[in-house]
Amino acid sequence: MAESLAHPLQSQAATHDSALARSIPWYIWACVIAVLSGVFGAVWDISWHESIGRDTFWTPAHMLIYLCGVLAGLSCGYLILSITFQKDSPLRDSGVTMWGVRGPLGAFICSWGAAAMITSAPFDNWWHNAYGLDVKILSPPHVLLALGMMGIRFGTVILILAEMNRAEGAYRARLEKLFLFAFLFLMATTVGMAQEFTNRVYMHGAQFYLVIMITAPIWIATVTRASKSPWAATIMTAMYTAMHLAFCWFLPLAPAQPKLGPVYQTVTHLVPPDFPLLLIVPAIVFDLLRRRTSTWNPWIQAPVLGAAFFAGFLAAQWPFATFLMSPAAHNAIFVANNYPYFVPATSLWVRNIFVHSEHSTTQFWMTMSIALAVAVLMTRIGFSFGDWMRRIRR
Amino acid sequence: MTSLRSRIFKLALLIVAVALPISAHVGSADVFFEGSAGPYHLFVTIRVPQVIPGVAEIEVRSESGDVRSIQIVPLRLTGQGSNLAPTPDLTVQSKDDPQFFTGNLWLMESGALQVRIMADGTKGKGEISVPVASFAQRVLPMEKPLEWTLLFLMIFLAVGIISIVGAGAREAKLDPGRVPGPPNSRHARIIMAATAVAVITALFLGRSWWGSVDLDYQRNVNHYKPPQAETSLENGNRLILRVSGLDTTWNGRIDLSKLILDHEHLMHLFLIGMPGMDRMWHLHPNPTPDGAFAENLPNMPAGRYQLYADIVDRRGFPWTLVAEVDLPQISDGVPLSGDDSSWSGAPLASAAGNQTVAALADGGRIVWNVPPGPLQSNVAMDFKFTVEDQSGKPAQDVQTYMGMAGHAEFVRSDFTVFAHVHPAGSVSMAALDLAQASLPGATSSPQDSNPEGMAMSMPMPNSSASIPPEVGFPYGFPQPGDYRIFVQVKRAGRVQTAVFDAHVQ
Repeated sequence: MAESLAHPLQSQAATHDSALARSIPWYIWACVIAVLSGVFGAVWDISWHESIGRDTFWTPAHMLIYLCGVLAGLSCGYLILSITFQKDSPLRDSGVTMWGVRGPLGAFICSWGAAAMITSAPFDNWWHNAYGLDVKILSPPHVLLALGMMGIRFGTVILILAEMNRAEGAYRARLEKLFLFAFLFLMATTVGMAQEFTNRVYMHGAQFYLVIMITAPIWIATVTRASKSPWAATIMTAMYTAMHLAFCWFLPLAPAQPKLGPVYQTVTHLVPPDFPLLLIVPAIVFDLLRRRTSTWNPWIQAPVLGAAFFAGFLAAQWPFATFLMSPAAHNAIFVANNYPYFVPATSLWVRNIFVHSEHSTTQFWMTMSIALAVAVLMTRIGFSFGDWMRRIRR
Repeated sequence: MTSLRSRIFKLALLIVAVALPISAHVGSADVFFEGSAGPYHLFVTIRVPQVIPGVAEIEVRSESGDVRSIQIVPLRLTGQGSNLAPTPDLTVQSKDDPQFFTGNLWLMESGALQVRIMADGTKGKGEISVPVASFAQRVLPMEKPLEWTLLFLMIFLAVGIISIVGAGAREAKLDPGRVPGPPNSRHARIIMAATAVAVITALFLGRSWWGSVDLDYQRNVNHYKPPQAETSLENGNRLILRVSGLDTTWNGRIDLSKLILDHEHLMHLFLIGMPGMDRMWHLHPNPTPDGAFAENLPNMPAGRYQLYADIVDRRGFPWTLVAEVDLPQISDGVPLSGDDSSWSGAPLASAAGNQTVAALADGGRIVWNVPPGPLQSNVAMDFKFTVEDQSGKPAQDVQTYMGMAGHAEFVRSDFTVFAHVHPAGSVSMAALDLAQASLPGATSSPQDSNPEGMAMSMPMPNSSASIPPEVGFPYGFPQPGDYRIFVQVKRAGRVQTAVFDAHVQ
């Protein structure tokens, strides 16, 4: 009897010890480093385009972006091949099979992302030759590149999730932190891809809110279901904001001058990104409200939380946009004077004039209504997506 | 009778409004320029990119060996962007030919730009600006190997994502070690089918997006193609020209009432007999109150004429209007006067080789000091000519013609190339004035300081004073073929034209 009682306790202690002692696998770290390489590369590259101009493909920023694909592709490719051909691999049971090879689901997604990134390179090169060097972020080869980077980011999240959902105790807690950190880059990708529509001049137009509702609440809702943390949305968005602020504040410390012309703005340092969107406010609202509504049916909870996210963001960002347009924001803290060299002084951005993306009040409220509906829909989709993520074990 | 004839002529005037298969300005986009950057005389070639933004290739040859380095930098020609310069690029000095410098510059925008050239050497520093008409010339087609490679990769990625989603749906939620059962496989197949629909939809939308970008780009390419001149004939000999773009965007941007003077005239009109170029008129229509241009034509034989009309918009961008017109015989025309001139003679002789001596109407002649060997396309050359009098001696009565030692028109036999070139090169003289006015130290706009539109960079003596009988034209043939070169000089108050035929390999 004593023996039968002692065994589970000993076993539990052993599990606890092994969980504490267990380290996060190398391939997860490799993918996280790949993600960071892609993130730093992309932010640096955009700043490079805005400050110096893309005078050559071989900029360090471009190299960091492609290092993301190479690192994720090689590490996940090796992982899949080693599991496939090493019959006694301990990871064999926790893999999925595709095209006769076996490995974690996240590794396949990362490999796909790397392949998409590599495919985008000749496509993008041809695009530049055919249509000139693009000064836009949104172009078909760039979307393919972004899909590839998104694939690696998503694959990394799935790799962590599978490990996290099988883990317990302190090991799971460590993975949970890493998961929230890795997850923020999913939201950063979609919000970042839409940045041509999220400049401060659009912030008093309904189109801006529609774009944000398409790109942000799905991730907020997803992370709250995939993570057990009661502050998952807040922590994830706080890390997103902190990282964004770091780019805003540290990039301008590097001197830079335009190499391409014509030049419309005097640029002496790397141009930082815009001040981060105040997504932290609706994220806090989301976390606070979901506690009170945790027992609700998700079809009822989603409209409440989606609407709360929309209202919270609107309440925070609308007056903040007015502030960003004021001279008080034109400093090193709020970086509202971060004009790229190619923006003419006559542009509405430089003149701090809001663009009315809707032509009438009716159109404005219609678009706002659509934005609200999209926020609700995306929240509901996010719940389902998060529930699926919570069950990932391979 | 006059009224009836006028109506008949109006009806008879056929405007062939089909766009010529040519690229803008016309078929000769590269810039050839000769000028002085302070103490250094430079010959500059700017090979403009086919697409914008794109890389322009810059070649600079110094006349003397005392230039140590040359820096190049792009700016807009006028307005915003003309006063802030990016970091200059240093050209590479040839080891074999120290007087030859090469470099690359990104041209990021379409429109009227300038390339500023800063030379440094034993005589100190010198600076000059060369205007560049920057425009996309074509859309690059995708080569088959790349097309197939990308198609394969796209199929691979599409099938890959469907398979990954299937694997995830089938196994991802199972505990480690558990084998997926038939329900898992069935669920995976449904998810894969839905994913396939989503992927095909995404590919279709992507292709539509690509097509939309391609269409927009093609519109931009078309925007800079030589605009059509709409012509009509009034009162038997009054030619009216209006500009007609390809779309409303173009018509909104170019306004004939807002042009600037280009060496003394707002428009330089060339009428060249088709098909053999056996007749040529160089005229200068005046603006009309309703935004058109009008010219009272001299006596002309009936026939089809190729029309080229050079204008410069207020931003400094040079345009060449083109048209083919069928004109009736004009026998009550207005005699030529002022800077207007004409020529008639033998038609262009195909494959006749390079002609080096051409007669002038007064019995004198012009000798082309053509370099030995065949003429090559895409090679920058200095076309040097010497004007001789009736006795074969260098002429002593050469005068400036519209402010310059001479004018030359290079026309390809199929009329797909037309370049109006001056001793400063193929650049528009009005644009050149704007470029020099934007240099540091310039105090006023060229139109303010020089209302006649004369090239500030090339101050010439009084038009009645004699100038040296040698004249040079920096230029390069853009493609092989037979060309006719019209060289126009002024002797003793009379504009005279000599014609040279050239075969280019």
